[in-house]
Amino acid sequence: MQKIPISLAQSGMMLAKDVVRAENPNGPPICGKGVELTDSLIDRLRNMGIQSVTVQGHPVWMEGDKTLDEMLKDLDRRFSRVADDPLTGKLKNIYRDHIIRSMGE
Amino acid sequence: MEDRRAEIRNFIMDTRTLPTLPGIVTKLNTLADNDKSSIQEMARLVSSDQVLSARILRLANSPSYGFYRVATISNAMILLGVDVVKSLVLSSSIFEIMEKSVLGLWEHSLGAGVAANIIAKRLHLPECEEISTAALLHDIGKVIIRLNCEEELSDLPVRIAEKGLSTYEAEREIIGTDHAEVGGWLAKSWFLPEKLIVPIACHHDVEAAALHQSKTAVVHLADILIKASGFGFSDNDFVPPIQPAAWKRLDMTETLLAEIVDELEEKLIDVKNFSLEIQSADDSQA
Repeated sequence: MQKIPISLAQSGMMLAKDVVRAENPNGPPICGKGVELTDSLIDRLRNMGIQSVTVQGHPVWMEGDKTLDEMLKDLDRRFSRVADDPLTGKLKNIYRDHIIRSMGE
Repeated sequence: MEDRRAEIRNFIMDTRTLPTLPGIVTKLNTLADNDKSSIQEMARLVSSDQVLSARILRLANSPSYGFYRVATISNAMILLGVDVVKSLVLSSSIFEIMEKSVLGLWEHSLGAGVAANIIAKRLHLPECEEISTAALLHDIGKVIIRLNCEEELSDLPVRIAEKGLSTYEAEREIIGTDHAEVGGWLAKSWFLPEKLIVPIACHHDVEAAALHQSKTAVVHLADILIKASGFGFSDNDFVPPIQPAAWKRLDMTETLLAEIVDELEEKLIDVKNFSLEIQSADDSQA
């Protein structure tokens, strides 16, 4: 899942979150998650003043973004002091799965 | 070492030395203690200070409370409760220090507030707002310690790295007390309710909480989740162990924890944006 500015949105990307109006975030969504973006849909969202959308996977690479390997290495480092702890180990596995899924692998 | 601990305690209990506490606080405490005073009276008092009200509303609308749309102080008092608003009034000056100089800790605190809110709601615990507030304030002792013992604590990072200590263990070694205990003193000196004091004071030792164990367990877990996520920064990025007592107390399961992590990670995008907005708002004011 990645939040990207509308200017970088491209047809074929899948929405991972509902798109809502900035001035009424709790109101009805303009476009639901799971919808595939098309050029005309992106134009319409832009015309409605939407600034950013959250899409599935990690389609856009920006400077400073970490690769999956780097993210998993950071995770190992953060958990290095609790490597043998059973409960915290469960949390680590959950995060590991989450990171892998969020990068769309 | 004991002397140093007593010294810090005295310093905190002497309210005159604390970072600019708004004078409104004393009046608010008097009003809150009086059964006859109404929410409107208390709201009018807080609203009389415009800068303070703006800060309170900003926090009340932060992701830590699941994005209420709160426009007035009296609405905040009704939606979040008087105790929560009182804690926000009290901590607003400390949060101001955090936002500016310890950005990582500020983001860690905001994130812990969000995590605690998600856990408490998933477990259908009562008083979710109080739990979020306790999590938001859980590391407030760190700011006070840094303000007072900057020199003594200069080798804190070295001890943490070389000896494999956690932050509170290293603090105990150097000044005889730790940020959880100091945070508890601070909350007590502000006359906050026990349900906020205990989770702050015991977030590293859930079993030490005689009362409010569920709330304490939530704050303990929220602190760990946010460290596991790598969001924000609080002295070191090592994840501390989850205490079995907390896990048991909350009847936690792997499935539930996985759902909580998914929801948390989705919300953290908003938290990051919220933090950036505050930064840019402060920059443009300066």
